[in-house]
Amino acid sequence: MPVKLLAFAHTRDVLGFQERVFDCAPGDTPRALLARVAPTFDCAACRIAIDGEYRDWDAPIGAGRELALIPPVSGG
Amino acid sequence: MEVTITFTQGVIVIPPLELPTREIGAVVEFYGIVRELENGRQLSGLHYTAYESMAENQLARMFAELQKAEPCIAVHFIHRLGFVPVGEASLYIRVLAVHRGEALRFLAAAIDRMKADVPIWKSDRSEGHSL
Repeated sequence: MPVKLLAFAHTRDVLGFQERVFDCAPGDTPRALLARVAPTFDCAACRIAIDGEYRDWDAPIGAGRELALIPPVSGG
Repeated sequence: MEVTITFTQGVIVIPPLELPTREIGAVVEFYGIVRELENGRQLSGLHYTAYESMAENQLARMFAELQKAEPCIAVHFIHRLGFVPVGEASLYIRVLAVHRGEALRFLAAAIDRMKADVPIWKSDRSEGHSL
């Protein structure tokens, strides 16, 4: 199942892309997906969103189609 | 409550003041201005990026939640994206309410929660390196 991974702010530099599509296995979690596609990525440094909603790193991706890495925000 | 949420790449254009009801007794406006110094470093401006679809949903939900505690008539939110030079506004919020107390508390809480949860980033470079 294809899942789009979006990277924002400094995570774009860390991962080297703004968005990329990855295959996601049934039962995958965001943490497992990142461990597979970017093993050195520090999940503790940012939050994860699935289809635009904050989720736990260990929650199943399920039917989610879009994951987003959300580093500390700084709007305003 | 009337809510408008706008992200714009250009200079923020302040909408004309319209009072949807004669009950409104308070109009509170906030401008967030890019400062010359950020963490002690002199800047010409800041670059803003956002995960716009999520940011809009987060803001809409946040305003609806705040409305329960601080009933207001309307909130208009505008955030600039891209490069914002020093001295120009990156953020504009207008809150309309019957009384000033609700409007001021709504505004303060909205800014606090935006800065905690809404996926918008500022950077001193065109890509990444959020501050």
